[in-house]
Formats: sequence, C-alpha cells, structure tokens
Amino acid sequence: MRSSPYPALPARALRTTAVLALAAGLLTAAPAAQADTAPTAAPVAAKPFMGWSSWSMQSSKYPGLNPDGDYSYLTEANVLKQTNALAAKLKKYGYEYVNIDAGWWRDKTWKPEFDRYARQQADPVRFPNGMKSVADRIHAKGLKAGIYLPAGLEKEAYNDGKSPIWNADGCTTADIVHGDLRTTNGWDSSYKLDFSRPCTQKYIDSQARSIADWGYDFLKLDGVGPGSGKNGDQYDNVADVAAWNKAIAATGRPIHLEISWSLDIGHAADWKKYSQGWRIDTDVECYCNTLVSWENSVDDRWDDAPAWTRHAGPGGWNDLDSLDVGNGEMDGLTKAERQSYATLWAIAKSPLYTGDDLTRLDSYGLSLLTDREVIAINQGDAPPAQPVTPADPQQVWAAKNPDGTYTVALFNLADAPAAVTADWGTLGFTGKAGVRDVWNHENLGTRQNRITQALPAHGSRLFTVTPRGGAVTTTAYEAEAPANTLAGNASVAGCSACSGEKKVGNLYLGGSLRFNDVVVAKAGTYQVKVTYVSGDPRSLDVSANGGGTTRHTFASTGDWGTAAGVYVPVTLKAGANTITLDSGSGYAPDIDRIDVPKSA
Amino acid sequence: MNPRPADPSRRTLLSLAATASVTAALGSLPAFTASAAPHRPTAAPERVTSSRHLLWWRAPADEHSMIEQGLPLGNGRLGALAGNDPGRELLLVTDATMWTGGVNDTLDADGQFPYGRDDFGSFTLLARLTVDLPGHDLSAVNDYRRTLDLARGVVTTTYVRSGVTYRRQMFASRPDDVIVLHFTQNGRGRYTGSVTLDGTHGETPSTAESFAGSFPGGLRYGAAVTAYGTGGRVRVNGTRIDFSGCTDLTVVVSGGTDYAPDAEAKYRDPSLDPEKLARAKVRAAAAHSADTLLRTHAADHGDLFGRLDLSLGTSTEAQRSLDTWERLNARAHGGAPDPELEAAYLQYGRYLMIAGSRGSLPLNLQGLWLDGNDPEWMGDYHTDINLQMNYWMADRAGLSPCFDALTDYCLAQLPSWTSLTRELFNDPRNRYRNSSGKNAGWTVAISTNPHGGNGWWWHPAGSAWLCNTLFEHYEYTVSRSHLERIYPLLKGACEFWEARLLTTTLPGGSREVLIADSDWSPEHGPLDAKGITYAQELVWALFGNYAAASARLRKDTGYAATIAGLREKLHLPRVSPTTGWLEEWMSPDNLGETTHRHLSPLVGLFPGDRIRPDASTPADLIDGVTALLTARGTESFGWANAWRGLCWARLKNAENAYRLVVNNLRPSVNGGNGTAFNLFDIYEMAPGRGIFQIDANFGTPAAMMEMLVYSRPGSVEVLPALPDAWAEAGSVTGVPVRGGFVVDLAWRYGKPTEVRLRSTGGRTTKVAHGEVSRTVTLEAGGSVTLKDLAR
Repeated sequence: MRSSPYPALPARALRTTAVLALAAGLLTAAPAAQADTAPTAAPVAAKPFMGWSSWSMQSSKYPGLNPDGDYSYLTEANVLKQTNALAAKLKKYGYEYVNIDAGWWRDKTWKPEFDRYARQQADPVRFPNGMKSVADRIHAKGLKAGIYLPAGLEKEAYNDGKSPIWNADGCTTADIVHGDLRTTNGWDSSYKLDFSRPCTQKYIDSQARSIADWGYDFLKLDGVGPGSGKNGDQYDNVADVAAWNKAIAATGRPIHLEISWSLDIGHAADWKKYSQGWRIDTDVECYCNTLVSWENSVDDRWDDAPAWTRHAGPGGWNDLDSLDVGNGEMDGLTKAERQSYATLWAIAKSPLYTGDDLTRLDSYGLSLLTDREVIAINQGDAPPAQPVTPADPQQVWAAKNPDGTYTVALFNLADAPAAVTADWGTLGFTGKAGVRDVWNHENLGTRQNRITQALPAHGSRLFTVTPRGGAVTTTAYEAEAPANTLAGNASVAGCSACSGEKKVGNLYLGGSLRFNDVVVAKAGTYQVKVTYVSGDPRSLDVSANGGGTTRHTFASTGDWGTAAGVYVPVTLKAGANTITLDSGSGYAPDIDRIDVPKSA
Repeated sequence: MNPRPADPSRRTLLSLAATASVTAALGSLPAFTASAAPHRPTAAPERVTSSRHLLWWRAPADEHSMIEQGLPLGNGRLGALAGNDPGRELLLVTDATMWTGGVNDTLDADGQFPYGRDDFGSFTLLARLTVDLPGHDLSAVNDYRRTLDLARGVVTTTYVRSGVTYRRQMFASRPDDVIVLHFTQNGRGRYTGSVTLDGTHGETPSTAESFAGSFPGGLRYGAAVTAYGTGGRVRVNGTRIDFSGCTDLTVVVSGGTDYAPDAEAKYRDPSLDPEKLARAKVRAAAAHSADTLLRTHAADHGDLFGRLDLSLGTSTEAQRSLDTWERLNARAHGGAPDPELEAAYLQYGRYLMIAGSRGSLPLNLQGLWLDGNDPEWMGDYHTDINLQMNYWMADRAGLSPCFDALTDYCLAQLPSWTSLTRELFNDPRNRYRNSSGKNAGWTVAISTNPHGGNGWWWHPAGSAWLCNTLFEHYEYTVSRSHLERIYPLLKGACEFWEARLLTTTLPGGSREVLIADSDWSPEHGPLDAKGITYAQELVWALFGNYAAASARLRKDTGYAATIAGLREKLHLPRVSPTTGWLEEWMSPDNLGETTHRHLSPLVGLFPGDRIRPDASTPADLIDGVTALLTARGTESFGWANAWRGLCWARLKNAENAYRLVVNNLRPSVNGGNGTAFNLFDIYEMAPGRGIFQIDANFGTPAAMMEMLVYSRPGSVEVLPALPDAWAEAGSVTGVPVRGGFVVDLAWRYGKPTEVRLRSTGGRTTKVAHGEVSRTVTLEAGGSVTLKDLAR
C-alpha cells in the first residue's frame, strides 16, 4: 500500500512516564532470523509464498470494484468469495495464502478502530464476524490467512497516551512512543515507537498475540523504513521489525512476516535477519482504472530487482509485489505484458500472489497463473535469475539450475517488437544446447551458440537450456592494469569486492578506460563480460578499435562495494584490439575488469 | 522481357481505358479503371532471388510504429504498409489519389495560399486490413522471420508454431490491380480467424466485403476484400469474414478513387463507382490461384527490377549472417563498409519506385505510404526540392518508365496551374508578384496537390525547376514523344519568366542584365530578394532546355530566338569576395544559415550542368562552389545529405560523397535522423520525433549512381567518384545515360575493366574515365565495348 489516505492527526499534548529501560543490545544481540523465530516453529518461507492479496482490487478505480468509496472492496464477503475461488482454481497449483491488506480496522471513511489496548480491531461493517471468523473460514478451505498492519503506533490509537497496553502492567500508549511524538512510517501516520522503553515491546507482543489468537499465518508490516519513501533516524523501523520478529516467536505460532515497501537495500541484512520477505519496490498498482499498468509501475522491477538478487534465498525473498495477470481487461495489460510480468516474478523467485479477481480469471490469465513448469521454476531449488546482459531495452536474464541446465528469459522492454538473442557465451558455455520453450511447452531442438526470437513490445520468452558444448575460456583484463589508458578524471581506486582489490572509477563526463592490447585469434563478435561496481544505474559507451560506440545501461549493483558482471557484444578483429569503456556525457559505473572469450 | 512501351500518350490512353482493344499498351494503363485481362506469363519458372536482393528481419512491426517498421508494398498506385505480426496481420492501404482538399483558389490575406487539410488537402489512408489469427501471438511462435524480396516484390513471413511452419506471402500486383495475401503451412496446421476491412475516415461499412466513402471535396472512394481457402470454411460474419480450418487461405484487396487526371473534368471521373470497381477487381483476381497471381506479379515487377544490376563488392560472411537491422547497426557502429548492404539500399530505392510510381500520381513526400491521416506537410508535392529529388533516381537507376507518373501529373495540372497563375499571381497582396505588372505562363506554389491546387507560399522558380526535371528525362530517353508532351509546360514556364525578369545594371558596371523579381531562396534568408542564384540558375537552364526543345521539334523558332536572347542577358552568380562562397542572394554577405539543409544556390552544380569541374568552368567558380558546399557540412539529414552527396559526386570527391551516403545509412534511433528498421528515411523534426520523408530513399541511390556514372548529352564519364569502399571490384549494368545510351560497366581496383555502351536512340557521345576518353558513334540499338579506358 502506498497512498492510503491516513487522516492527519492534530498534535497532542505530550505525556511522559518514566519506565524501566530495556537492556540495551538485547535486540541486536539476537541470533539470525531463522534461529530467532523459535525452534519450535515450522520452517517459514523455505520457498517464495503463493497466494492472493486484497490490495490490488481495493486500490483500483476499475468500475464496480469499490462502489462504497475508495478501498471499500475489503469486506468479509469479498475475502471469502476470493478464498473460495482460490481454493477451487489455484490451490492445487500451490497457491495458499489469502492476505487481507490495509483497512480491515477502518470504516468506509477510512476512520480506524482500536480496542481499549490501542490495538487495531475489525471494522464491524467490513468484518461483522470479526477477524478470527475470517481466518477460520480460510483455514477451512485448507488455506492460510494473512493480515496487515502499519509500522508504529497509529496516531489515532494514541488516545492522549491513556490507553493501557495489554498484558503490561502500568504501561500506556504514552510509554511506548518518544516524548516529542515524532512520527514514522511511509505516510507519517504513526508515532514512532521507542524501543528503549520496556513497554514498547509489550505493545508489539500484544498485537502479535491478537493476530496469533485469531489464527493468522502471515503479517504484512507496511510503511517500513528506511524505505517506503523515507530515510533518516525518524523513519528507521529496523527495531520495529526486530520487535515483530521477537513477538511472533513468542506467540509460538509460525507467522510469516513480510515487510513493505521500497525497502532500503543498505539494510538488506536486517530485513533478512528479521523477516521472510521484503518489497523491493513501490506498489505495482496504478491507482487508476485498471489494477496495474505497464509503466506504472510493473516495468520498474526490471531495473530494480538485479541489485537485490543476491539477497534472496530460503527464509527470505525479494517481493516484487502482486502478480496481476489474471484478467487482461482488469489488469490493464497486453497478453505480452502479462507473460513478461509472470516470467520475471517467476525467475526472480518473487512470492507469487495475485491481486486479481479470482472469480473472473480469463483463460489466458489462468494459464499464466497455473503453468506448472513456470511455477516449478519459481518454487524450485535454483537461485533467482539475474541479468546477463546490460539493462538495455532488449535483455536476457538467467539462472543456473542445480541439474546443470539454465533458466533463460528474454525480455523486450521496448515499445515495439524486436529480436532478442541469448548467446550461450553469456551463460558461460559455447556450442550446442537443447532448448525447451517453457511457456509454449515445446522442445525446440538443438541450437548452436545462441537462440534468437522475435518478441512483441514488452514481451518475453522463457527457456530451459541444456548445454551440450564446452565451457567458454576467457582472458581477464584488469581495469587497473598499468597498460591501460585512462582519460579524463578516471583513476584507480581500491575495491575489496573486485579482483585484484582494485577498480577504475571516476568515469564521468568524458572519463574513459581503454584496454590497449586485447588479443583474439579470429575476427568476430565476442561476448565480453564487464565486471563493474555501481551504487545506481549508470551508462557506458563501449567501442572497439576506435569504431562506433554502443551505449549500454548497467543496473545498480546495490551499493559501491558490490561487483556484478554482464556481457556486452564487442566486434573484434584478429590480433590485437583496443576496447574502450567511455562515460560519454554522463556518469559510468566503476570497472573491475573485463573477461574476453578466447574464441567468438 | 518487356521492352519499354513506346511512350503512349497518357491522355489518349485514359480515354481508351475501358476498352479491351488496347492490350498492347496495357503496361501503361492507369490502374484503377476497368482493365482487360492481365498478361500472364506462360510456364514462367519460379525465379530464385539472390540473397543480395533479400532484406530480412527477425521481428514484425509494432502496430503503432508502422511507418518505421511496416514493409512497403505497392503496384504503382495501390500501396500498403504490412506489419507481419503472426497473430494479427495489419495492412495500412493507400491509393496515390486518396486526397482530401480541392483546388484551393482563394488566397490568404498575404496573397499566399491556405495550407490546411481541408482546403489544400492531404494525402490520406484508403483502408485498414487486418487478418486475426487467434493463438498465433508472437509470444507463442518460434523462429519468426520476414523478408522483402526486392527482385520479385514479395514480402514473406515465416514462423513455427507447435512444430508447423506457417508462411504468408503478400504482394501488390499491377497486372491484377490487387493486393494479395497468401497464407500457407507445411504440416497439419490450419488457419482459423477473421479478415476485417475498415475505412479510416469513419465510413459506415456496406458489408464485410467492401465499403465506400467520399470527401467534402467530392472525391469518392471505395475498397473491397475477398477471401478463399482450402479445406475449411470461409464465410461473411457481420462486418468481418471468418475462416476456419483452412489449410491455406488467400485474401485479395483492392480499392481506389474516382480521381481522374483531367482538369476539365475537375479531376473526377463521374462514371467510376470505386466500390463497385474494387469489388469487380477482387472478384476477377479471386478467380485465379494465389500462385498464378504471384507469378503474374513477379514477372511484371521483375521486368523493371531486372533492368539494372549492381555489385559494389563482396560483404563478409559475418555481415551476411546479420539481419537487415543488425546489419545497419553494424555498418554504423563497426564502421566497416558493407558493400552488399549498400547496394541493397540502392535496390530498395528502386523497389520503392516500382511500387510507388506507375500509372497514377507521382511519389509524394511519403511516396505511397502512410501510417495515419495527418502526414507532415500533407504528404504533398513539394516543388522546391523534394518532388524533383524523388525522380532524380528514375532514369539514373534504370527505371525510366516510372518517371512517367511525374510527367502525367504536371500535364494534368498545367491547365489549373496556368489559370491560378493568371488569376492570382499578380494579386497586389502577393509579395512575389511581378513588379512589371505583366503576367503570363504558369508557375506553382511550394506545395501542390493533385486537384490542380497550390498550397503555402508562391514559388516563382518552381515552374522552371519542374520543367528542367522533365527535360532531363528527355535527355536520358531522347524520346521525341516525351518532348512533345512536355513542350507546353516548357513554353509556358518561359512565358512566365519572360514576363517576370527585371532589367538592371550591376553596381560599378554598365551592362544591362536580367534578374528574377523578388523571391525567397528556399528556405532561408531574406524573403524578398531580387536575382537570387536559385532562380537565375534555374531560368538559365530552362531557357537553354527550351531552345533545345524548339530545335528538336522545329517549333516556335521565333519565340525560341527571343528566349535565347533573354538567356544571353541573364545575370549569373559570382563568388563572394567576403565569404569565398558562390553567392546565394546577389550579396557578398551570408544572409542565411551556414549549414542550411537546402543547397538552392548550387542547382547549377546539381542537378544543373552549368558548373562543372572541367575546363569549361572557371577555377574560382569551382572554388566558390566547393567552399559553399564545404560550409554546408555533412551532418544534415536525409534529402539534404543526399543532395550534398550528389554535389560532391559532381565535384568528383568520392570520399565526401560516400560519407554522406553512409550518414544516411545510420540507423534511426528514437526518431533520430537516419534509416529506419524498414529502411525508410527518417527526419528528426524534434528530439524524439522522427517523420518519414521518402526523398532520401531516392536521392541517396541517385547519389550512388552519380558516383558511378556521370553524364550529360554528348558526354559520359565512368567512375567519376568511386570511393575506396567500393573500389576493389564491382559492376553495374543497365545504366541509362543522358544522350540516349545505356551503359554496362565493370571495374577492378578502382579502374574500369570493361565499358559497354548501347544506343537507345543516341548517336555520338564521348566516354571518359579520368583523363582518358573515346568518342563513340552508334546506330540506334547498336553497342560497343570499350576495354581500354583505364589506360
């Protein structure tokens, strides 16, 4: 949820109460997340979770979805309708979570309701039978139930600091926030919790207790920072997430903790430690007449996911947000866009939860959501795929599978059809390979060195590639080698993540790096691996032997201490060549090295 | 082979068009009329096209980027851009005469012409044809490929779906006057889907099979489609034609308007019912198998295409392995010449001319191809470079018959152009009116339409330039009948200029000279300048051409003497002592933009003959021309680069000329200047907004031909500007040259190894290479081979 209309709360008189300080360091001394979530609990998030979420339909202005005002779709009746549809159509493919998103404790004017302990309580119009009843009904279908809370103490729950905290003698809402009532979360809709005060964890414990008692299996904690469009101490909710982790463990109920949104990659270690999944981006929903749109903002994920790839794995996954591909008209996407959307989510090993109206899936949407081969890629043991080419309009992503095959996806993010080629060299081998067309359930036979397919605008293809050739052998050329020519402000710098522990940086506004003696035996186009470091997406002009340049965009590696490699095609002549990496008129990534195949 | 027909008079044929007795002249019939049975080749072998003449791509067009990605088809008047998406074939269908607007004869307050889509009019789409094949989505098929066979005029799309290879071929047939789409497959595949033919102007469909409409200007139009298949079912279902379970499917489309190239009839043929005629045409074609239709078309197209063959050298296997778009990118990025690609680019220009300029209106700013109904500058006829450039290639590249559309157009417009000139040119509000008060003959505005109308500003020198272009075609063909046809145009233009020239005395001199009245040198600098070089050069050439025409036809000898006298007194431009450039405005100062796109003051260098890098032209004039051309630069766009290339070829600077050719071959990215995916030339109007203008697709090949062969009556020079990139080995056959000959030429290491000259009516000419020359005299039809020109 990004833009829910939390009403502003007038500043209240501050009330301070002296309380015992929680032992400092308790939280930070806690062992790693999985160990911390109580050894008694069943393993959570061994695989990306699958299910349904209510927010896409709540947030859409699609005709008829929210007749009683914005976000009004969320009701017990609608949740149960979707539960039944999920159970009937998708459960057998692995979809199991039914996740109630924001607003279950708010009336149709978005006014929140709390119990006497400042805990969110069900709006009686939306959920006349309370939250436990819904969870029970979901469980009765053999499914799991998810619920939602924002980070911090919601302003409306503060109640002049007078509300007692459940099961915490003497604690009131005044005892869990900062004296200056500083706000927090992505919408400044809560007072920031002060975890140096002993009552504060009790409040989280009390919320967790409610959720566990109602029988929920999943919690989305939203508006978490750094992230959610905010940074700085005021919006640092790492302690909140840690407190939730602890509180959930204390309930004894395995509850998956998913945090949202646009989380700061600089805190990836914290998110991994305390949660089972983290939204890497803003909401996928468009808040428009459809559920989503390509530009706003499905397509952001291709740019933003690569930096996160290395952080995903059993226990915690990169959450790309809802997978709204089930009904083309309602989704607001072309068939090609829907396939690309499903492809990226699958290969990036994002949780697969759809936000579609499951009672109105069209046949193509159903086929996308229920493709067993694609689901197997998402749920299998292979690591998430990452780009093997620059972040250009035509790009290739790949992952090496435990059985030695590769999952390879071609994407055409351009607005017009284009041919896209996956060169086996970018996978590290050469020669022949067997190709299976995953979406079309066809074996395409053996392909030599590469596969090229025509992709529609915003389209994709998904292949399983079985190498039958040999490994590519390469020659490494370090950027910092003295034989290279640096121009402009380019300079050698230390880099612990780089080979040789050095890189060339300061490649901006005309700064360039030229490798002067790149020798190959035969003329041809070579897939040259460029290993680089870049804290943000940057571009580079690549040329050989002083010829025309090709500009490529390099995805962020997440920070300035992490290296990644992608392949760029470079046409070389037999014998000695120069290869130039030039910042041109912009800012280029730092370069660790290039690896040039010994044969094209 | 189909020898060029003997210049039948278009007007005669028009009146005979509906009769079946004119079979001998069928090749020149205006297409959208009832016509007799096409000539069908008997036992024509399936010709295999050389890979040199195959362009190919690995992606279809985007429905919203058809002008850059659609592949052009055309039968000379009926055209289409084809998208070739497997699941949804899309054809944007055009007819050259599909124009809104009218004669537009009410001047604006400034004495110039209105220039809007309603008054002046615009070239627009005729129809939109879609063939939907559910389940054949691009994402669901493999190994997609489409090719454009330049030699046979066929677009072929292939892809594999569930193990079956599907193939569709499409072509625009002139003999059958229809567009044909033929869907086949090689296995157990079946075609199930629907065909939809829609208008683009809000027409109410009559039936799924045809529609009709009309414009406020009175033009009526219509189009029709039919479909037939094997093994399945084809039936009309409401406003579409459904087909199911067909092992193959043929779709036939035709359409047109009631336009008639006849001023007296106000450019309409009231007896023609376009919808009915279109229905008759698709019905007639559908009586034949798709293979028969294809063979008939390929023979017709191939006869013209095969007239010129060109090799600029051999490309590498690596270059050949790339598709056309990759190859353009590789050419631009790698920098290595790709001689087969460069030759194919020239042949593509020839393909466009065969497809776009036969039997109807001439090629406009967009040729025959549109992706919407609001083309820039109305897709009109621009008379201050673009229309002329479209036809510079026709004779030079062996497509003289395609030139006739321009002649026919000018003749059909002449009565209207004349009356507009007489009635409106001397309007007191027109800043370009004749200050003498006299008014005679005809001229045009910068823009013209097919309704006899002008648009935008008056263009006094336009009549001279059009005439010079028409006369140059005479110089290539030495066709007396062509000369007879254009003679009234030439004479009327002379009369216009006789009335317009002013007598003046140059500063510091006493000699009286004639200069052009106030004018604008296209399209920069002062709006009202007298004696602009552009006009002086064009009129000087016009008067010379008129003298030659009068002499050949033995007509109006007295008037020819008068015109010759005027020519003697014409002021000719000098080199500025200030800039060192040939003057553009009878001023030593540079009054315009240094790198302006137009080369108006250089019309005497190209297409004119007055300025030549030989002993005939003073060295200081050559220096002034060279300096001006150098100052204009090499980084303009499409047609401007092509014109620069032509001028450098004339100055025998091979590398500069080649650089301009290569600059135009740069791939257009994000609307930038250069060559689009489909090889259409794109002009960047504003950052990110490129538009298609076809002139560079013809001007660039013209420059390439001019680099290989230079000619003027009585003089041929081979390889005047051969760049290093093409020098190693090459050949070209079937090159018409001025004076009435055709040249075949082979070279090795930059030197001609064999030059063959065949007379097509010419008698004597000099043939040169560098300093070596021979004089050749031939009978009509005779030929000679020269092997010693390199010595």
